[in-house]
This record gives sequence, structure tokens and C-alpha cells, in this order.
Amino acid sequence: MSRIGVFVCWCGSNIAGTVDVEKVRDEASKIPGVVSAVDYKYMCSDPGQNSLRNVIKEKNLTGVVLAACSPHMHENTFRKAAIKEGLNPYFVEIANIREQVSWVHDDKERATSKAVDLMTMMVEKVKRDRSIDDVKVPLHKKTLVIGGGISGIQAALDIANGGVEVLLVEKEPSIGGRMIQLDETFPTLDCSSCIMTPKMVEVNQHPNIKLYTYSEVTDVSGYIGNFKIKIKKKARSVVEKDCTGCGNCWNVCPMHKNVKSEFNVNLSERTAIYVPFPQAVPLIPALDRAVCLHFKKGGKCVKCYEACGPKCIDFNLQDEIVEETVGAIVAATGYDLIENSLYGEYGYGKYKDVVSGLQFERLLSASGPTEGLVKRPSDGATPKTIVFIQCVGSRDPEKGVPYCSKVCCMYTAKHAKLFAHKVHGSQSYVFYIDIRATSKGYEEFVRGTMEQDGAIYLRGRVSRIYEDEGKLIIKGADTLSGNQVEIAADMVVLATGVIPKKGSDKVAQMLGISYDKYGFYTESHPKLRPTESSTAGIFLAGMAQGPRDIPESVVSGSAAASKILGLFSKDEYEVEGTIASVNEATCVACFYCRRVCAYNAISGKDIKDRSGKLIKVVANVNPGLCVGCGACVNACFSKTIDVKGFMDDQIYAEIRSLSV
Amino acid sequence: MANIDEKLQKIARDLLESKEVSLIIGYTGGSHPQRMRPVFITKPEDVGRLSFNRHSVQDLAVFLKKQEVKKFGRIGIVVKGCDEKALNVLMQEYQVSRENIKIIGVECNGVIRQDLADKGETDLSENTVYDKCLMCGEHTPILHDYLIECADPQISMSGDIKPFAKIEELDSMSSEEKDVFWEKEFDKCIKCYACRQACPLCYCSRCIVEKNVPQWIDTNFGKIGNAQWNLIRAYHLAGRCIGCGECERACPVNIPLMLINGKMARSIHDLFGYKSGLDVDAKPVFGVFSESDFNDFIK
Repeated sequence: MSRIGVFVCWCGSNIAGTVDVEKVRDEASKIPGVVSAVDYKYMCSDPGQNSLRNVIKEKNLTGVVLAACSPHMHENTFRKAAIKEGLNPYFVEIANIREQVSWVHDDKERATSKAVDLMTMMVEKVKRDRSIDDVKVPLHKKTLVIGGGISGIQAALDIANGGVEVLLVEKEPSIGGRMIQLDETFPTLDCSSCIMTPKMVEVNQHPNIKLYTYSEVTDVSGYIGNFKIKIKKKARSVVEKDCTGCGNCWNVCPMHKNVKSEFNVNLSERTAIYVPFPQAVPLIPALDRAVCLHFKKGGKCVKCYEACGPKCIDFNLQDEIVEETVGAIVAATGYDLIENSLYGEYGYGKYKDVVSGLQFERLLSASGPTEGLVKRPSDGATPKTIVFIQCVGSRDPEKGVPYCSKVCCMYTAKHAKLFAHKVHGSQSYVFYIDIRATSKGYEEFVRGTMEQDGAIYLRGRVSRIYEDEGKLIIKGADTLSGNQVEIAADMVVLATGVIPKKGSDKVAQMLGISYDKYGFYTESHPKLRPTESSTAGIFLAGMAQGPRDIPESVVSGSAAASKILGLFSKDEYEVEGTIASVNEATCVACFYCRRVCAYNAISGKDIKDRSGKLIKVVANVNPGLCVGCGACVNACFSKTIDVKGFMDDQIYAEIRSLSV
Repeated sequence: MANIDEKLQKIARDLLESKEVSLIIGYTGGSHPQRMRPVFITKPEDVGRLSFNRHSVQDLAVFLKKQEVKKFGRIGIVVKGCDEKALNVLMQEYQVSRENIKIIGVECNGVIRQDLADKGETDLSENTVYDKCLMCGEHTPILHDYLIECADPQISMSGDIKPFAKIEELDSMSSEEKDVFWEKEFDKCIKCYACRQACPLCYCSRCIVEKNVPQWIDTNFGKIGNAQWNLIRAYHLAGRCIGCGECERACPVNIPLMLINGKMARSIHDLFGYKSGLDVDAKPVFGVFSESDFNDFIK
């Protein structure tokens, strides 16, 4: 026989102002099986919880119903109170009479009637509750980090320093990501390579980090604690363990004219066998077979092989697939720039001296194509006047993206500042919409660019750029003075906005994590779970989540690391027991459940007799993967799948309680 | 005709003698010349009973769901183009495996409606075949291990007869008028579940109507229970029904079930561009999430 306790919370006047809580209490006491019905001002307070515990003990309750706020708020609070009195936490049910009643209705009589209905439904449900055990999943204490940019590197280092093994997978031949392409960094003007390369070297030397460069993750299956992954190591054509990084191979490579350097954003050329930049980690070249003469001309060219001392170049190396098991994953896939060609009026691609922000970084960088001297791409002359245009693609729902790319205001101020430092007597003009400089030292930095370095900021858009007698003529508006302006400049730098890395959507689909309409990975909760993805055990870091600068990327990498180290501080991971279960007697294995499961939680299971003969196949739920969403329950024609805690007979009893 | 039967019998004999299959499901002569009935052949000496003609209306795929048939393991089955689509869905839904089945396909240009045949009809024409035959796009079975060509000529279509015209008639009705129409039809239902038993795709070992803890669907025949049953049956076949028409043929009280099935199939095609039973490798329409689904709630 059920002994149910009903506890009606006032939530101060939040509920009691609109719902007659005493009436709800009285109606509860009339329901068969209810042995105690009380109301209290704040059930979640310590005295409230104590009264709950006392009643459980004194009346030896078999079930508890709280008519209170949303279970998102205090379900856990009351479940823990129940556990302390020896009651299985799944015998605690919540009738949400705040968010679903008092906050959305104003007619007290009808609100009360609805509250009574919701409370009654939960009483009928709790009568049919079964004890549920949480599921414990063993943890494989190893982490996969996808992306070797600053956030991936930070995550890898923090996790490795915490004593956990890390596999860091980077698509390019070297780690370093976007940050290593940058010159000096705002607002303190540290040289990017100076602060980045020590971290890259640390990664390479760390005993807990296994580095996979020129590699891609090709398959992920499994679940938190037990992800099975496949990493494709692309054929580098170089035997890594023998290579000394001497450079003889790339120095003799005849392909040095036609292949654009990705690292220098097409401002210079690279060879077919190459390291993207001198401080590459690892300092092992990769041979780009798509452009290599050996592969294009049937094996004739072997110059690099001949030049190689340790003879570690092997044209026959094949792609290699490495299989690993990890317990957690960090997705730090980074970003790309919006296609500048969308903005024909700015002449990108048409005029050589219209460059993107990232290209300008390379022109400023000591490791760049001009060795740090600002020279314009068309003729190598030193520009005296540069026009910077902000918000190219960003905040432009028509042609680009509606969001703010966050870093462009700051890097443009930095560009103008560095230009002033490097070319004395030069002049910068910056067209902007707003200046967003909100972090520590940022506003002062932008002010400095204006006041000490003499950059002229013009609030307005540029309408057109054209070439006239070796100059770029920029026509735009200065909306503050109300004047049209025309500037003759030597160069134009477009502060191009950021978009998710090409292919990051495919990575998300492989991982089973969600992304927004732009392709940025979405957080489990935008404020309270900003590091967790929608899938347990997969964490996010860096620009893959949205525009952010270096300090924020570092923070997010460390945040992911701390979550993973916290996860791995236990030997098992506990999953809520409210997961799907299959009635094996009635399952006919049509596997619609498997098709609709977004979490790959369902597989086939063989049912055999004692002699080992196969009787039939049924659907089987993996408790580590199932989140209890119930999609399979909907898909099942014969109602063979139920979610524990939301069983068919409970739902039915809830509905029946209404119509009686 | 004799030619078809001979070919059929030879294929069956070879299959049974070589032990490639242990059972052949086919057609044989029924209680009168215009009636065929299913036959189950297990011995090579019995293959002479196999026959096929324009009265072979049944969809024999229905027997594949039965335990007493399943236990034979490898099975040969005689199918028309429409029936074969049922096999495709059964394979899509893991109920039949391709290795265990030998498909003896028979080209077909239509079968004569049983109600007319029972009155002596033998002519194959647009006036005597089922609506599904008039719209048939699979005169030749899509998958087959053997193929027997058609003895009947193609039906000439005058254009005067519009198959499933009633669907459009219902589409033009108001919701209230439709309610009246269907209430009247469902009122006839006696809950015999012949529609379910005759359906090759209703293979659940426990039908939802038999789930009694809790009893979601009233088992007695009343207004609510009848509507519940007929609508749930329709929904469970939405995107799956291949239109063989066996449910309607089996219905002892003549509920026009093909109207529901046909309407469902049209809606599925309009909304998702999907036709059931055409591609054994296709993902069933209700078993797939797609970013191009017409609601943008999933991304």
C-alpha cells in the first residue's frame, strides 16, 4: 500500500499569491494513498527540507510529491533529502505549480484547479514509481584534443600536467594554429611566436602528450569514459623518427614558385616538401603529394631524397589509421576568415594592395614574407598611408554574418599602432561602426593608437575602392561630421570577421555535438555550462564556440581541462538512471529506435538459448550513452521501449487521474 | 498460362531439389476457377500445384512474418511487383534477410478484383482491376532472383477512370464532413483485426492493441475504440505501407482502408519525397533525421 506525502510550497508569494496552497493541500489529503499533506512557506529552505525528512521518517513514506517550482531548480535538493532518509531518490516527484501555474496564470480559482490537477497526476505517478539505480560507467582516463591551436594546446598542457594522458591531433603539419600566424598581440604587444613557441615545445616534450600532426580524427563512437576513436595519420612521406629537420630537402625542392604558402596567407610560396614556418613543432616536413613532381611526373624527381642525409624520405609511405580509446574529448577546431571576395566594392582579389587582417599580420611578422618590413604586395614599396576597414563581414546580416567578430576592433588598433611604429611619418585611417574594447587594458590601447600613434578614426562605412595612378582611392562616409571622405592610400587592410573552421560541422556530426546556425559549437548551457558540449564527455574550447581573443581562448582551454581532470578524479562516472529500457519479450528488432537515437545508444543484442542457439535479436540500450530523451519510445510501434521513471503505466495513470 | 506455370514449377523444383530453399510460397487454384489461394510447397514432387494468373491477388509476403513459416529458414516466394515492395520494407526493417530469401518475380499487368472475379469476371481491363494496378509503376518486381515474363497484355487506359478519385473527393471536404464520413465507416468496424493479420508489414509480435497494462486502446467496438484502432493502424503504416491493398480486401465490413493508406502515402511523398518499398537501402522516412526536413528545429 502506498504511503504518499504531499508537500505544497508557497515559494513565499510566488506560488501562494496565485494558487490557494491550502486548497491544494486539502485536495491532496483526500487522494487514496496520501498519508500526509502539508504546506510550507519555503520547502527548499533548511526547515522545509527537515520537515520533509521528518515526515518521510515518521510516516514511513513510500513516495513524495512536491508541488513546488520546476524540477530544474530543486529536484536534486529534495532527492538528496530523501536519500538521507533511506528513500530511493526516484520516489520523489515534482508537480511544477510555479513556472507552469502561478507564474503564467492570474485567475486564482482556475490556477488552483490546475495546480490540484498537476499535483494529483504526480501522486498517481509516484504510486507507480520503481526504485531506479543510477548507472555507473567506467572511465578510460585518456583525453583526445582536436586542434593544436592555442586553446587546444592549453587544454592539452593542463590535462597532461594533471597527470592524464593526452592525444593532441592537428590537421596541419605543425601545431600553433592561428595564433602562431600573428605578429604582436594586443594589448601588451608581446610577440606571438615568443609566447607561443615555448608552449608548442612544451607540448612536444611532455611525457603525457602524444602529438599527431598532419592527422585527422576520422571516426568517433562510444560514450563518455569510453570513446573509440580513429586517427588518420596522413602519409607525410617522411620517416618521422629519423628526420632531423635539417632543411636539406625543402632547400632543393624545385617546386618553389607555384604553390602558395597557407601559413603566409598566399603572400609567399612554399615548396612541395615543406615545414609551414621555421619554428614548426614538430620540425618535420610534410610532402604535399598534390603538387610534388615525384608524384605528378611518375617518380622522376627524387631531389629531396638525394639531399636527405638520414635518407628518411619515403615516397611509398601510406596513410595510417591509429585506433585509441579515450574517456573525454576536447573539440578546439578553431576558425577561418569570412571570404573577402563577398565584398567586391573593397577590391579584394582585384587590387593586390587590398589585404585581409591576417595577411597584414604576416606582413608585420619577422617570420613573414617581408621579414617584418611593411611592404605592399604589388611592388614591395613601403606604404605611407593605410586605410583600415572594420566590420568586413561582421555585423552585416545582408552579405556576411550578423554577429560581432570581437577581435577585429582590437587587432585593427594594433595594426595601426604597429604600422606607426614601423613606418615613421606614416598615416592610418580606420573606418569603424563602433569600437568594442571591453577587456582589461583594451580601451587604453585603442586610445593610445588614436592619441599617441595618430591614427585617424572615422565612424562610417566605405562605399567604394578603386585604383588611380598607383594609389587606392577610398570613398566613404564620416557620419560624425556628416561629410563624404575620399582618401588616397597605398594599402587597404580589411578587418575580416571570423567564421568556424571549414569542416568543423563535419567534426561536430562525427562527435554528435550540436552547433548553431553559423556552425559554432553550442554549449550545454550558455552561462552555467559554457565548457560542456551537448554530449557528455565532450568539451569545447577556443574559437570553435564563437569569436574570442587569445586570453579567452586560453581560459576556455583551461576550463575544459579542469572539467576533464574533475571527471577523471573518480574512477566511475554516474549517469542518471532514467534511461530507456527494452522489453525483450516483445521486441521484434525493427530498429526504428536505433534509427532515431541521436546518441547512438541503441544496438542489437542476440538472445540465445542454453545451447547457444540464436533465438532472436532485440534492441539493447547502452546505459552510458542513453540520456533518456525518449525518441525511441515514440518510434516504437509496439510500445516495447520505456524510459525508466516515465513508464507507460505511469503516464497512463497520470492522464487517467485527470479524466476521473 | 501453362507456360508460366511450367516455368514456375521448374524454378521451384530446382530450388527444392538443390536444397537452396526448404519452402516455396506460391499460388495454386482455389475454390473456383476465378479464385487463387496460397500454397506452401516443401517437396519437389508437389511443385505441380504451383500456378499464377490474373486472379493471383494475394500478397504472399504476409506469410513471412509467421513463426511457422520463419522456421523453414531459407524460403522461396512468388511475388508480383507490388508484393515485392513489401519484401523491400521487410528487409529495410530487418525482418527478412536477403540471403534467406529467393525471390521468384512474376511480371504482372494487373489482377482482377476479387469481388468481380467471384461473380465470374475474367477480362483484364481498366474496369476490372484494382486501383493500385491502374497506378502501378512496378510491373516488374524491383528485386528478383528469377523473373517470369507476363502473359497478359498491358491494360489500355481510356483516361475515363481516375484511380483513388475518392481521395481527392475527401480532400475537398471540410473537417466536419470528413469526420462524419469516417465515423460512419469506422462505425462498421468489428475489431476483428483482419486488416492487421493480412498486412505484410504488421509484424509486431505484440500489437499495441494487445498491450493491456495499461490498455491504451479500447478493445470493445465502440466509437472511441474504433477510431483509435483505425487511426493508430494508419499511423503505424504511414511511410511504410506499400499499397498492396490486402487490408481492404480482408476487411469483412468493407471499410475503405486504402483511402487512408493512399492518402498517407501521398502526404508522405509530398512532405518528404519518399515512397515506401522502392529502395531496400533507403532509410525509412520516420527513422531518419535530416537537416532538410521542413521544420528547422533540428540542426
